[in-house]
Amino acid sequence: MVILEGKGITKVFGGLKAVSEVDFVLNQGEILGLIGPNGAGKTTIINMISGTYAPTEGRVVFKGMDITGKKPYQIGRMGISRTYQIVKPFPGMTVKENVSVGAMFGARGKELSAREAIEKAEAVLEFVGLQEMAEYRADDLNVASRKRLEMAKALAMGPEVILFDEVMAGLNFSEIDKAVDLIQKIRNEGISILVIEHVMRAIKKVCDRIFVLHHGAKIADGTPEEVLNDETVIKAYLGRRYKELVQ
Amino acid sequence: MILQIIVNGILKGGLYALMALGMSLIWGVMDIINIAHGAFIMLGAYCSYWLFTLWGVDPFISLFLSIFFMFLVGYAIQKYLINLVIRATIFITLILAFGIEIFLNNLALVMWTADVRKVQVPYGAANFNIGTVTIPYVRLSAFIIALVIAGIFYIVLNKTRTGRSIRATAQDLDAARLVGVDVAKTYALTFGMGVGAAGAAGTLWAILFPINPMMGGILTLKSFVVVIIGGLGTMFGPIIGGLTLGVAEALGSNWFGATYENLISFTILVLVLIFLPRGILGKRE
Amino acid sequence: MAQRGDTSKKVILGILIIAGIAIPFFTGNFIIRFFTNALMFAILASAWNIIGGYTGYASFGNVVFLGIGAYVSAVLMEKGGVPFWIAFPASGLGSAVFAVLIGLPVLRLKGHYFAIATLGVAEAMKALVDNLDITEGNSGIYLPVMNLSVKAQYIFFYFMMLGVLALTLIVTYVMLKKKLGYGLIAIREDEEAAGSLGVNTTLFKVTSFALSGFFSGLAGSLYAYQQGFIKPESVFDVGVTVKMIVMAVFGGIGSLLGPLLGALSIEIISEVLTNYFLVAHTLFFGAIVILAIVFTPKGIMDIVSGRKKFGLNYLLQNIRDHRV
Repeated sequence: MVILEGKGITKVFGGLKAVSEVDFVLNQGEILGLIGPNGAGKTTIINMISGTYAPTEGRVVFKGMDITGKKPYQIGRMGISRTYQIVKPFPGMTVKENVSVGAMFGARGKELSAREAIEKAEAVLEFVGLQEMAEYRADDLNVASRKRLEMAKALAMGPEVILFDEVMAGLNFSEIDKAVDLIQKIRNEGISILVIEHVMRAIKKVCDRIFVLHHGAKIADGTPEEVLNDETVIKAYLGRRYKELVQ
Repeated sequence: MILQIIVNGILKGGLYALMALGMSLIWGVMDIINIAHGAFIMLGAYCSYWLFTLWGVDPFISLFLSIFFMFLVGYAIQKYLINLVIRATIFITLILAFGIEIFLNNLALVMWTADVRKVQVPYGAANFNIGTVTIPYVRLSAFIIALVIAGIFYIVLNKTRTGRSIRATAQDLDAARLVGVDVAKTYALTFGMGVGAAGAAGTLWAILFPINPMMGGILTLKSFVVVIIGGLGTMFGPIIGGLTLGVAEALGSNWFGATYENLISFTILVLVLIFLPRGILGKRE
Repeated sequence: MAQRGDTSKKVILGILIIAGIAIPFFTGNFIIRFFTNALMFAILASAWNIIGGYTGYASFGNVVFLGIGAYVSAVLMEKGGVPFWIAFPASGLGSAVFAVLIGLPVLRLKGHYFAIATLGVAEAMKALVDNLDITEGNSGIYLPVMNLSVKAQYIFFYFMMLGVLALTLIVTYVMLKKKLGYGLIAIREDEEAAGSLGVNTTLFKVTSFALSGFFSGLAGSLYAYQQGFIKPESVFDVGVTVKMIVMAVFGGIGSLLGPLLGALSIEIISEVLTNYFLVAHTLFFGAIVILAIVFTPKGIMDIVSGRKKFGLNYLLQNIRDHRV
């Protein structure tokens, strides 16, 4: 069952066509990967789904409703949350307070009072494994924990769809494995996930399907086996040696 | 009649432009809003006043001394004071500037009393006519000098090595450091230049209008308006902004009355910020 | 964490409350008037703290709310014969409404541009009031005389200011515990992230500005009634904005009691300076502001709360953190 889809999404900035006529489908309970070289337009797609910008053309449809052009806070409250490639913690707040904000204003926020949201934040911190750092200031955390905090904030909103923008960038191998586990754990809660990544070992492990962007256009779409062996994708992004490296 | 008003506006606008040039430079390069700007204009004015009153130095000559002296003042203040807080939040630098303004204004008050003074040059009232329009020589000279100084700034910033380091620092602080720019010194130079320009504006103001230690406040505010209208990031922004403000005030005063001058300036400021925040010439980010 | 800080905060609060209530009964008119004035600035600084400190939008025009509050009361009471008890809340509401109207366009601006825009609004309002007939323009407007003895008046205004300050601080305190408070701080820390997390940033910013305006407007009403006569230059004076910001920063932005402590300290320092240096007191005041901002930019509360040890190293560290 389709929960989120983009139909013919296009974004033009001044003279530059950052994204052209991209269609994508995210099914309920699925993990969809989005890969491609830097500058391909991946984050722009996330920005258009989350409302940071409106598409120049095309529609974004969530659970059958057209959400194109809605404001970020509205989309957040409807049930789609996102992380940022360069993480955006609230530096002056503790880790718990950071996550509480997500709980207070997210999709489930209306049902919760401020105090209840803080309790929910504690639960979310346990879920992602940050409970020991609850009282630390957000800017005292290291890279891996900051990425995790970013994920926790999105999770606390109680979303049905999460958009992860390169949550593994800057992590070492064991941290990547932990992040992959967390993503699968999140999916097991029934949340549908769109993942932008460059880390190939993670993409292979975690995604049900992948689509590939190059110069703003979709060049491949399918299962990881199909996509990662696709000639155009290898030429554009992975490189000939990828196959050898990965074998 | 209306032509005379517009000409008056243009001439005053040139002076406004000069006042704002310094502020625009400092704001554009260091992202500092120099609240004390008016105080520096006031100091430049008094500099020329005393040189004229004590030693008979003609203000158009003391202009150079005024610029030089104010440059040193600015350089020192940046180097030994403002550089100490420059990486803090905007409040901190703003309040420091307020502190400096209070200090300088009251220093002037203590030293020179609140009496209003005037530089009475013998040629003050001389003017010439083009058709129906009367143009006072001193106003025209002030206007021309303003343009000349703007031009000099433009040349220094774009054609000299120092200017390049200033622009590099403005664009990317870390990159500038990496290529060996002495940031502390560059900031000091920039502030010095900005304050020097303020000093020049002060001298010209003293020739045209009466001066007193508290004159700076409203001039700082007017400079903001000019910078915002013209837009940050170019040396000609303040020129356009100054001319626009000068003419708008002249026309507005004529139609509504002189007491409306400030209302016009600040309403323009707010409207420009709401509808055209980058100003007329400002860089689109 | 910071247990020493919590206790000292409670102690300070206790002292302030007791002293606050006791002062008028143990001192003469001059001191009462002095503290009434200091309380007014405490209200202005605390109100500023809502939009400037907690929301992160440094308004340079908050004096406009003082002025609007003052003139709303003046015009209603003097020209409309309205009693004080109606004019007083009307002033607060008038300022709040103005905050909403002007906030909607202006809060879209960030940082310096927002600061300058609010400054422009304040100066424009000053110029406007200067030119209107109903406000008597530049000549100033009188307010009706109070029907109380001098001493009673002093005490009345003292407790009214104290009451408004208490209201401001209590509302702020409650706000901080509720979603509004968290939302505002989130906006301050990272507005874009706050939006993504579901915070309706426009609504929250405007609400914050309106609260700031409301309390400042109430203070304006009291000021006008107490003075009996107001002119645009005094109630729309940018120097008042400077003072309230300096007080908030000096006391500690983004802390509840900081602005109050800042107001009291600055007023006391000013008074002491005026007594010792009649001629040059503002000069020394300027010097103190400079020194304070260079060495203690985080304000008194940072020291008092015990989070860091105060000493030469603290002062120098502040410079090290912020220098070029």
